[in-house]
Parts: sequence; C-alpha cells; structure tokens
Amino acid sequence: QTILCLPRSFEYSQKNAVLVSAAALGVGGMLVYWLRSRHKIKTIEMGDGWWGLGERLVKGKEDESIRPFKIETSDKEIEDLHRRLEQARYAPPLEGAAFHYGFNSSYLQKVVAYWRNQFDWRKQVEVLNKYPHFQTTIEGIAIHFIHVKPSYVPHGRAVQPLLMVHGWPGSFYEFYKIIPLLTEPAGHGLNEGDVVFEVICPSIPGYGFSEAPHQKGFDTIATARIFHKLMNRLGFKEYYLQGGDWGSRITTNMAQMLPQSVKGLHLNFVFISRQGLRRMISVMLGAYVPWLVGLTREDVRRTYPFIQKNIYELLRESGYLHIQATKPDTAGCGLNDSPVGLAAYILEKFSTWTDKSFLHKDDGGLESKYSLDELLTNVMIYWVTSSIVSSMRFYKENFSKYPGLTADARVGVYVPTGIAAFPQELVHTPHAWAKEIFKNIITYSYMPRGGHFAAFEEPKLLAQDIMHFVRKVEQL
Amino acid sequence: EFCSSLADIMLLEVFLVLGTVIIYFLLSKKKEETLPFKEGWWGKGQKPDTEEDTTVWPFKVETTEEELSDLFRRLDQARFTEPLENSCFHYGTNSMYLRKVISYWKNQFNWKKQVEVLNKYPQFKTKIQGIDIHFVHVKPPRLPEGQSAKPLLMVHGWPGSFYEFYKIIPLLTDPASHGLSDEHIFEVICPSIPGYGFSEAPHKKDFNSVSAASIFYELMLRLGFNEFYAQGGDWGWLICTNLAQIAPNHMKGLHLNLASVTNMGFSHLLSILLGRYLPGLFGFQDEDVRRMFPFLKEGLYRMLLESGYAHIQATKPDTVGCGLNDSPVGLAAYILEKFSTWTDLEFRNLEDGGLERKFNLDDLLTNIMIYWVSGCIVSSMRFYKENLQKGIGTQKHERLTVQVPTGIASFPNEVMHTPQAWAQKKYTNIVSFHFMPRGGHFAALEEPELLAEDILQFVGKVEKEQLWRKK
Repeated sequence: QTILCLPRSFEYSQKNAVLVSAAALGVGGMLVYWLRSRHKIKTIEMGDGWWGLGERLVKGKEDESIRPFKIETSDKEIEDLHRRLEQARYAPPLEGAAFHYGFNSSYLQKVVAYWRNQFDWRKQVEVLNKYPHFQTTIEGIAIHFIHVKPSYVPHGRAVQPLLMVHGWPGSFYEFYKIIPLLTEPAGHGLNEGDVVFEVICPSIPGYGFSEAPHQKGFDTIATARIFHKLMNRLGFKEYYLQGGDWGSRITTNMAQMLPQSVKGLHLNFVFISRQGLRRMISVMLGAYVPWLVGLTREDVRRTYPFIQKNIYELLRESGYLHIQATKPDTAGCGLNDSPVGLAAYILEKFSTWTDKSFLHKDDGGLESKYSLDELLTNVMIYWVTSSIVSSMRFYKENFSKYPGLTADARVGVYVPTGIAAFPQELVHTPHAWAKEIFKNIITYSYMPRGGHFAAFEEPKLLAQDIMHFVRKVEQL
Repeated sequence: EFCSSLADIMLLEVFLVLGTVIIYFLLSKKKEETLPFKEGWWGKGQKPDTEEDTTVWPFKVETTEEELSDLFRRLDQARFTEPLENSCFHYGTNSMYLRKVISYWKNQFNWKKQVEVLNKYPQFKTKIQGIDIHFVHVKPPRLPEGQSAKPLLMVHGWPGSFYEFYKIIPLLTDPASHGLSDEHIFEVICPSIPGYGFSEAPHKKDFNSVSAASIFYELMLRLGFNEFYAQGGDWGWLICTNLAQIAPNHMKGLHLNLASVTNMGFSHLLSILLGRYLPGLFGFQDEDVRRMFPFLKEGLYRMLLESGYAHIQATKPDTVGCGLNDSPVGLAAYILEKFSTWTDLEFRNLEDGGLERKFNLDDLLTNIMIYWVSGCIVSSMRFYKENLQKGIGTQKHERLTVQVPTGIASFPNEVMHTPQAWAQKKYTNIVSFHFMPRGGHFAALEEPELLAEDILQFVGKVEKEQLWRKK
C-alpha cells in the first residue's frame, strides 16, 4: 500500500525514490527467500541429551557395548503376583453398564481368575525370550531391544533393516506375530516378491525393559535421537521405520531429524497436531462436497458425523490422556501396586481402541480378537518392570508445550511415506490432510478391518501393506 | 503457526459466541420455574411392591482386626516409583513424600482411635429411594432460654466426606464455647452422598446431583424439618443449589463456599476478554481481577492442568477407580494430591506438597480410610460421569436460577474464581458475598472458624430481615 501511495507527491521525489527502491529490495528479498526456502528441507536439530542419574560424567566415553539380555522371573515374583490377585477388591458394576463406565468388574473377575489359575508366566517368559534381546546404554540409560534376523536369505536378496516402534499401553511384544511375516514372508504364505526384513523393536525409555529417564523433558524427539543412535551403533546407515501410537510420532520425528538415514516411513496411525482455519473449512465443506476438499467417499464414511466422531468420541476416550499428561505420578501410583487395577486400565484400551462397538459388550469384546495369554503378557511386561508410571510421564513430557511451538511443528516429512489407515482407528486422517505434513506419500491404504493395535490384531494385513510400500520405494 | 492458530481460535470463538447467542435467544424461557423433584429407585434389581421402610436407625462405624491386618499387609507390600529429579508435586503426588505418609499410616496412625473420634457424633441410617443413606446428626449441647436450634444441612464433596465437617460442627452447635456469638445456634445434619462413605451406592445408572438433592430433601422432611439452611462446597455446592431449586419454600438460606458458573454465555466471554481493562463495566472488583487475570494463565491453563481427574472420572470411572480400590497407597496418592493442590496451587512447588502445613496426617488419613473401608472410590467417581457425561451447561437445572437467599464465601485459593458479577446471574438473591482472607477448597476442614463466622453472619442477615419470607 505504501508503494501505491507514494507516487502522489512529486516534491519529495528524491525521498520517494529511496523509499521505493528500498521497498522493492525488501519485497524482492522476501520473494527470493521464499523461493529458496521451498527447496531447502528443514530438519529437526538432533541435539543431545543425558537421562541418567545425577550429573553426566564428563570424563571417559560412554559404554557402547551391546549386551545380550534375557527376561527372567522368579518364584518370589510369581507368588507376590498371585497374592495380590487373590486379595483383589472389586466394586460391582452398575446394572446394564457393559463397558460404558470403563472396564466391567464382573468380567474383570473372570480375567483375574484366568490370570491366577491358568496363565503361565514362566511359559510366557520363554515365549518372550524366543527372539534375541539386547541392552545398550545410550545417553545414560539402558535401551532394550529385540533384533530378529531372517534365518534364511535367498541368494541375491537384500535384507532391509526395519525399526518398529510400539506405543502406549503396548510394548515390543505387540510385534511378535508380525515379525515372522516380515523376516520369513515365504514361510508364512506371503511370498511377496523381493522384500525381506531384519527387524529391530526397541522399548521406548520408560517402557518395559528400557530404563526410565531420570531427568525431566524426555520427549519423542529425544527418543527419536536415541533410536537413531541405536541403529547407528548396530551398524545401519539407512533403514525403514514403522510405527503406530507413540511409535508413529517417534518414527516421524526420526524422519524429520535425519531424512538421509530413513529409506521409508510406514505408519498405521497419523498424529496431526496442526489445526487451522483451512482444516475447519475442509471439515465443514467435506460433509457436502468432499471431492472439492480432496476427501474420498471412504474418508467421509470414517470421518463424519464430525462432531460425533472427532469431538464427542475423542473427548469420551481421552480422559486417560488428560490425566497422564498432567498428573502421571498420581495416575500410575495405584496401578503399580495393584495388578488388577493395572490390567483393567490397560485392557480397557485393548477393548475400546480395537472396536468402538465393544463398549456395548459386557466382556468388552476382548477375547473376540485376542487371547488372554497375549493380553496378559503385555500387562505383565508393565507389571514386572514397574514401568507404568514412567510410561505415563511420556504424555506429560510431550504435551507440555503448546502444540504449535514444538520443534517438530513446522517441519515437514519428505522421506517416502506409507500410511495404512485402519477403519477402527481412534481418529481417521484422510490423505488430503496427511499431505500437509507428509510431502512424499507413496502409498495410502484403506485397510479392510482392524483398529489401533494393528500389528497385534491384524499382523498379516499390516505386513502386506508394509511390503507393498517398501517394494514401491525400492523401485523408485 | 502460532499467529495463525491464534487467529483461528479467535474466529472459532466468534462463531461459538454467535451460535450461543442465537441458541440463547431461541431457547430462553422464563427461568424462574422450579426444578422438579426427581423420583427414583436405586436399589438392586427390581423395586419391590411393598411400601418403603422409613425408619431411622442409629449407626456406628466399626472396624475389625481382619480389616486392619489386611490394610497393613497392603501397605507393607506397596511398590513405589522414584520421582523424577526436582519434580516436587508437578507430576502428581511425590512418591518420596508418599513413603513418609505410608510409614506414618503403618506405624503411628491409630484407626481404632479414629473410629472412636468418628463415633463421637451420633450417626444414623435410613432407607430412601431404595438405598441406605448415612448421616451425622448433631444437636446443640445446650440452648439458651427461648431459642430453638436451626437445622443446617451440610453437604460434602469429592474427595471429601462427612468427616470434613467435624471441626466446624462444634462451632455451629455450640458457638459460645468457641468464642463466637450464640445469637444463632444450629443442629447440623451431614449426610454422605450416595456412593460415598457409609451411604449405599446407587445400583442403577443416572444418579446425578438432582437425584442426591431429592434424596436429601426427603431426608430433611423425614427428620421433621420443614424449614432449614443448607451449606456446601464441591459437589455439595451443586446438590444444595439443586435443593434450593427443588424446594425453595423449605430452604431459608443457602450458603456456599464454592459458586461455579456452568452456564457460560456471550457476556461471560466478553467479560473474560475485556474484564481486565474495564472491570467496572462488568461488575468486577479489584480482588476479582487479581484472582482471575491473566485469564489464560489463571483460568484456562490452570483448569486444563487440574482437570484431568474430572475428565477420566466423567468418562471411565470404573477403570480409574479399580486400582484405587485395591491399593490403599494408590488411593492415598490420588486423594492427597487434591488436598495439596486444591488448598494452595503453590504447594505444587513443594517436595512434600505442603500438606502438613494446613492439615494433620490423622485427619487426612481418616478421610482416606472412609473411602478405603467402605470401598466407595469407584461409586464416588461415577457421580462425575452421571453429572458431566452430557457436557457442562447442558442440563436443565443449570439454566435455572436460584431465588433462595444466598451467602457466598469466596476463598482465595479455590481452584477457579467466580466473581459476584457472574454468580449473581444464577443466584439472584445474594445476601452476602465475602472475599475470605485465606483458605482453599476444603474450607470446612482447613479454616473452620472463618467459614463458621461467615455462615453465622449470613444467617444473621437472613433471620434479622426474615428474608426467606420475601421470595
């Protein structure tokens, strides 16, 4: 506007000339900067961290050894568990409540009876130990992971390293069914061409057998950096990433931090933290003219009615997130002391996040998709490692800052990305919205069935989509 | 990004405001209708055909060796998680301090002695709408010539109990012995909300504050009181408010130490945006401005930081309560966190949560023991779902006003501050509104003298001008 008003006064033509050229330079400079910045890929700074007890020792290098690890148990541990299960106190559910008030305590008693009398933890420990476990110290804390290599690699085939990251309230154990499909596809009826993986599943620090950070501030960016260091230490320069729940955000951060190391990023859950006017308009128009805002019919089916699914249902299901993001030590205290309480809290998610209609069932539909053995094994991982409180702290560390101001907020993801959209996932993110952050989506698949715990619930579907994605990336 | 989000928020606010204004005009009816009494039957199974038994029978809290040894066993086997370095109470109850509390609980706290303390006031039970209602009923030890005791119903909240009133009861039933004026002497009735303490928990869904108010109304009538005063904070605030809306002709006065506003509208939004700069325009006093602004920090963020418990209890009470009913240590951590933070938000910066500055461990643990021995934590949490599941500000009673003479004691460390200007929209007959000099959410337990004085001066005003007749 200033430029347009200037030509009026010819008496000040000299001053005007200076002002006009300065303005032109300014505008021109901004144009050049804008053009330039579109080509420069912004990354998250790697930084560094220290999460061990006390002060970091300046002298001496960190112990970088990779130590084999085996999960163990003892009679004492099992007896203590049994005693607590036997002394459990329950509050009867309201008449007709099903799972609408949370985990139904009548059904919980049945689960606990199985846990006490039939579940065999020693046997499950052997199941857990069937894959090789390791621990290594990074940034002051012990990082646990399993590393599964294919037992047989046909001549000429490349083995792709794949890092798979779990979430809450899951663990590395969620991947046990999908691992063989990825390391030995032919042996599981998948024979999907050239893709064979060696799989690394770490435990997020504070979860399972990874040591919990002793300092405040441990967020997904710190986790991403630690996992990069882990892969580096294992000798990998380039690798694929896969994640859902927290794993999705961690692997996304990894792709934003060191894109040159990430061959491809596969997600079964997409965190979209950016809201905005454009999104609101897209939502409002999408109900009537979806094609105009890039939404498909399937997107519409999964996203609308918008208020119902994205606001009301989200509010109904996010109480845990709210309390864990604000008072994790309080929320987790009783759960670390009562295995029954821990089971109710965790298994409620395995019910509702697998299928929202399970809320109407007296037994939460749990055993229609999972076996009690596998559900309880996951719960036991939280129990024997006493990691529920530290697992909850992760929420506080990640939600403390205003979403628009976090380091990863304005950074796009440029590595090849594959998204598997499961129908019963908590929130549906259409391709049109994911594109705003993920600039290089190679595959986007509407999965036919399955919920939040995709690897656990539908390992074959997920494995097929991962392979489909990786094959496409390898052809690029 | 931040700027565009701010612009988006403001745009969203404008839409919301417009929407609210339109709906307000479309749906606003005469707001002086009374709230209907809520019939209900909360017992197990089907309601029997027989007439309800209306006897009132005496009740005593009891304990057994078995109960105590079970508790000690659980305390002994407690598993703690180390707190993060320098986290104080910012992540919730600090487990280092919690260990000290557990140690006291095991080694010094004497539950048998506390049971005798609980039993020093006469307690009773009676069946109303299918469930047993527990209450304390304390009459004045002596009455001067010509004076009669005024019935006063006092309702607790969460995570409190009838025990919160044990310090204030003598100040109200026997003011003269405590240096207070004996112009007005009370007989105090403190019931336990159904699902809390020794009141039976409802077995059916939908037991909300109006249900509780209806039951307490029946209780007062059954005890022979045709006119009474009511006092409450936390859920007690809402239940007593509902009672004033159900039975305005029976309630002489309503005293509150919390006065939330659940029906926000255009004028509230405007006063939040501009009230700091034009306080007079919105009826804000200096103290209001001091307590409420900057609004984002003092209002919104504080609410978000402190309302996680309400969110999960309003959606999944059975899940969150499960572990707490099984682990006394978990229960203590959960409840003590509120006694710390809601007494003074600054206590979050202390390693011990400042708990023993305002309370003694015996009182805190007695309250916790009430939740433990009655196994009521889950049912106490369900009350949140029954009241909040449809959202805040959506229920009929939230749109109705209160005409009963009202007195409000506004304590400085209450989590959310409600200025008189806002309270007036709901409580149309505010007789007294005072900024208390100190104290937080658990006013009766923390500052019994201050609260008692405010109740007395309020009742004094009401009685002097016989205000209940002027409704």
